[in-house]
Amino acid sequence: MAGTSKRSRVPAHWLLIAVPAAVLLVFFVLPNALLLSASFLKSEAQQLTAAPTLENYRFLLTRPLYLEVFLRTFVIGLAVGAIDVALGYPLAYFLVRTRSRWKGLLIALSLAPLLASVVVRTYGWYIILNRFGIANDALLGLGMIDQRIAFMPSTGAIVIGLAHALLPYTVLTIMGSLNGINPNLESAAMSLGATRTRTFFNVVLPLSLPGIAGGFILVFSIAISAYATPAILGGPATQVAATAIYGFIMQLLDWSLGAALAVVLIVCSLTLLYAASRLGARRAVL
Amino acid sequence: MTTEQTLNNELDRREFIRRASAAAVVSLGAPYVWGQRTDETLVVNSFGGEYQELFEKNVIEPFEKKFGVKVIHDATGTSSQDYAKIRASKGAPGFDVAAALSPPEVILGAKEGLLEKITDKEVPNLKFTWEKARQTLPPVTVIHTLQFDSLLYNKDKVDRPASWADYWQPEKRYGTKVKGHVINYNPANLLSVYALIHAAELGGGGASNMDPAWALLKSQKPYVGAVVTTSAEAAPHFESGEVWLSPYWSARAGYYISRGIPYGMVVPKEGVIANIDSASVPIGAKNKKLAYEFINFMLEPATQRAWCQAYFCSPGRGDLTDWPKAFMDSQIVTKQQFDSVKLPDLDAIGANRKDWTLRWQEIMG
Repeated sequence: MAGTSKRSRVPAHWLLIAVPAAVLLVFFVLPNALLLSASFLKSEAQQLTAAPTLENYRFLLTRPLYLEVFLRTFVIGLAVGAIDVALGYPLAYFLVRTRSRWKGLLIALSLAPLLASVVVRTYGWYIILNRFGIANDALLGLGMIDQRIAFMPSTGAIVIGLAHALLPYTVLTIMGSLNGINPNLESAAMSLGATRTRTFFNVVLPLSLPGIAGGFILVFSIAISAYATPAILGGPATQVAATAIYGFIMQLLDWSLGAALAVVLIVCSLTLLYAASRLGARRAVL
Repeated sequence: MTTEQTLNNELDRREFIRRASAAAVVSLGAPYVWGQRTDETLVVNSFGGEYQELFEKNVIEPFEKKFGVKVIHDATGTSSQDYAKIRASKGAPGFDVAAALSPPEVILGAKEGLLEKITDKEVPNLKFTWEKARQTLPPVTVIHTLQFDSLLYNKDKVDRPASWADYWQPEKRYGTKVKGHVINYNPANLLSVYALIHAAELGGGGASNMDPAWALLKSQKPYVGAVVTTSAEAAPHFESGEVWLSPYWSARAGYYISRGIPYGMVVPKEGVIANIDSASVPIGAKNKKLAYEFINFMLEPATQRAWCQAYFCSPGRGDLTDWPKAFMDSQIVTKQQFDSVKLPDLDAIGANRKDWTLRWQEIMG
């Protein structure tokens, strides 16, 4: 025992941290480092060479096609985030405040989309939105249109599909925030003469802003990196960053450009998320 | 904190390293233990969809029966996706036979040294394959079937097309009624590359001058109702009848027509380009001996007859006779027929495919 006590000690909880840290190091940091290095290498005739270059970035940042891809990706992220917050907030508010005995069931129902695969959900929208789909049939049947409309492939179809798929994330995040608000604050505001509407806008809404920001950031992050929904509802002619990266790496076998595009996406996303978190922190201080 | 608590809560460094090492060995070794295969197991990669069922029935099951082995069929991915897996794994993608590679990937595989060289010694039936086609590819693959890019049309909606111009300039032949009923493919699919080469040739160009193709693509765009990447993605558009004109691989076209869709298949007057389907063995394949046996079996006369007639593709060897007349009339089974189809300019395709895809994306995006 005397010998053992002289050995340097490692706290047991380090083991808990070490395992996930090792997993992240091997499966996240290392592949991303390789990705970063590949983005600075030249590809010739679909083969990666050892020649360093900035050409991949110059190519992506000067071609209108890829600037459009980035713009489309971030517009989709912002639109999906805004739609999900707008739809998710009233739902979360209702689910938190309802005293119905079916509350548990209602919460489960609102989160039900998470139980189905995103591919299955997206194909549901495919059936509805395609030129010969239910939406066109209904509009034609009602006499609202006389020619079928191509709802997809389009950016709008991608926004609809992603907004539906990601809604539960904003509901969950906002519910967490609303649950943390002390009900006495609302009672106090109303006892001082505030109407229910004024109480909501002056007390509840400001206090639930962290939940709104969290939900928005979460949904925005998932939406800008989504692959399956844009691939199905956007097709090869309506590309977003993830489908373009996939195209470079899996179809064109040009890993340099795919890696550079991935790096640009990661950097833009981290910058936007950092800005959003700083903004959130300032709001919290104020 | 007492000494006893310290002993309970802390591990010494050696113990920590010992436990971590054990955990690492178990987690890294587990896939090999769980995924262990015997020598009598072969993993074959090819396509899914209707191809999968026919391939299993006409090639895999007879092979299993003859050799008394188990074949695991990995029916995922397109040719380029399959090659991406080979490249990412440095030649050990988890399958022993890449049974559905197209020429651009085979050429890349030879350049990168990720596919095994194959000779008559490993695959005795190699010597029977179409010689001219064999000479276009590096010796790391074995041609097993041929297809060509036909023109498919909806018989209920439009008259039989005669030229690639009827696809590329549909309004000239069919008027505005065809608007929204033409399908176009991403050049990630070789079918699109071939169709674009036909477009270039219509305007006096070719694989070395694609400018006429881009002009035709721009003029065709308003008439395009569906844009897809893979041939399988196009199938629902044929089933719904919404697509009236499409370039399409002859095998799949023949298969769907045989299933009753109201479409006809045409060999346009300007001709068609052959697509060479071939099989290769990645350098890191676990069961190479059986992989070569499988490729050789694919070229056996009985296998060729069963598979080609089931999938409506042409055989990989030209020495087989006594095909049914209807099959002979629509496929490439004689040297004369083989000489009538164009072989792709693989050097030009390999060198320019990325740029063509980017140009296509800029126009269609």
